[in-house]
Amino acid sequence: MVAAIRASGQDFPLLLHIVGATLVFGALLASASCIALARGQVRLLRIGYFSLLLVALPGWILMRLSGEWVYRKQGWDDLPDSLRDPSWLRIGFGVADWGAVLFVLALVLGGIAVRRLRRGQGTPRLLQATMGLALVIAVGYVVAVWAMTGKPNYVDAAPAAAAVQASTNAVTVTASEFRFQLSRSSVPAGATTFTVVNRGKVAHNFWIDGKSTPQVSPGSRAKITVELGAGRHLYVCTVPGHANAGMKGTLTVQ
Amino acid sequence: MSFEDWIFSIHLLFAATLVGGLVMSWIVVVALRSVDRADETLGLNRVAGVGAVCIALGLLGTIAIGLWVAVLRTEFHPWDGWVIGAIVLWVVATAAVLQSFVEYRKSGAKARQLVASHAPGPNTELVALNRTTTGLLLRALASAAVVLIVIDMIYKPGA
Repeated sequence: MVAAIRASGQDFPLLLHIVGATLVFGALLASASCIALARGQVRLLRIGYFSLLLVALPGWILMRLSGEWVYRKQGWDDLPDSLRDPSWLRIGFGVADWGAVLFVLALVLGGIAVRRLRRGQGTPRLLQATMGLALVIAVGYVVAVWAMTGKPNYVDAAPAAAAVQASTNAVTVTASEFRFQLSRSSVPAGATTFTVVNRGKVAHNFWIDGKSTPQVSPGSRAKITVELGAGRHLYVCTVPGHANAGMKGTLTVQ
Repeated sequence: MSFEDWIFSIHLLFAATLVGGLVMSWIVVVALRSVDRADETLGLNRVAGVGAVCIALGLLGTIAIGLWVAVLRTEFHPWDGWVIGAIVLWVVATAAVLQSFVEYRKSGAKARQLVASHAPGPNTELVALNRTTTGLLLRALASAAVVLIVIDMIYKPGA
């Protein structure tokens, strides 16, 4: 949960990100409402366009830059490829970037319409297109808010957990803010069962070798069994920012 | 997504609706300050109506679902300091925004009166009502309270 307790240093960029996103959302709604409810009033049509230009555009820039800042702060670049950019994050970036394309189109169409209005030429279709684009982008933002907060497909839970093998190594993993403590620093190659105990105050998970526990609530525990080959295996908590704050390490398999 | 995740997501969608509605209302408030005609005042009032619906939905949705989230999630409690702080700020924001609606409704009433008397042109009394300082300050107070709620939710002092 991004909006739950986070590792330090992410709060301010997240605040800027939220402020930027709500500025864009409010200005899109204002713009669409002004154009829809103008009933031919030139001033209202112009306000509709300038809401996009003077409020939504700076809001989008703020949202996008601070979103990138949060991304870096949460250390997504440090994670393995299979964990990088999960679907909820791709939805957020997709809406922001494809929304920007539609946004530029709305600004261009609206700009032409406002220019024609100044010359006394009626341009209802151009402004209706601008309004339509603003509404489409606003709906996209609703989807993005849902995705960024609800995080669908957040954890690719380990289906192999059911296939626990007879001969397994056992490792107890104690999670807290923001560290993992493993009962063993090395295990023999083969099936290894990790029992993750959350002694912290917020939810954590444990990812290793492409498999992850579900989110483990404070005071709860979860198990996964993973077939590990010889070598060093990275383990992390994939809750945004937790790995970057220290919840990562390597397990040696002999 | 778990049930908790859905509830939390809906809470934040209501929050986005609330802040989005406030942004809309500020665009209207700023635009109103340069309007002296009754027909244009009524046009902006129609837009303000959409913003008011967003604000009302957002205020009701955030408090109701927010308290539910605080009860559902084991790591939070309704009696936590940051939750109580948010509730107090919500009360301040709600009171201020409702009173600001009363202030800005005055200019709408005056504009309707002018249109009914076939005088939609510039009017000094309407200008004064559109530039209401009380309404502006109340809207600023409500917005400040909502911004503080957002900060409180992000930083969660004491959590």
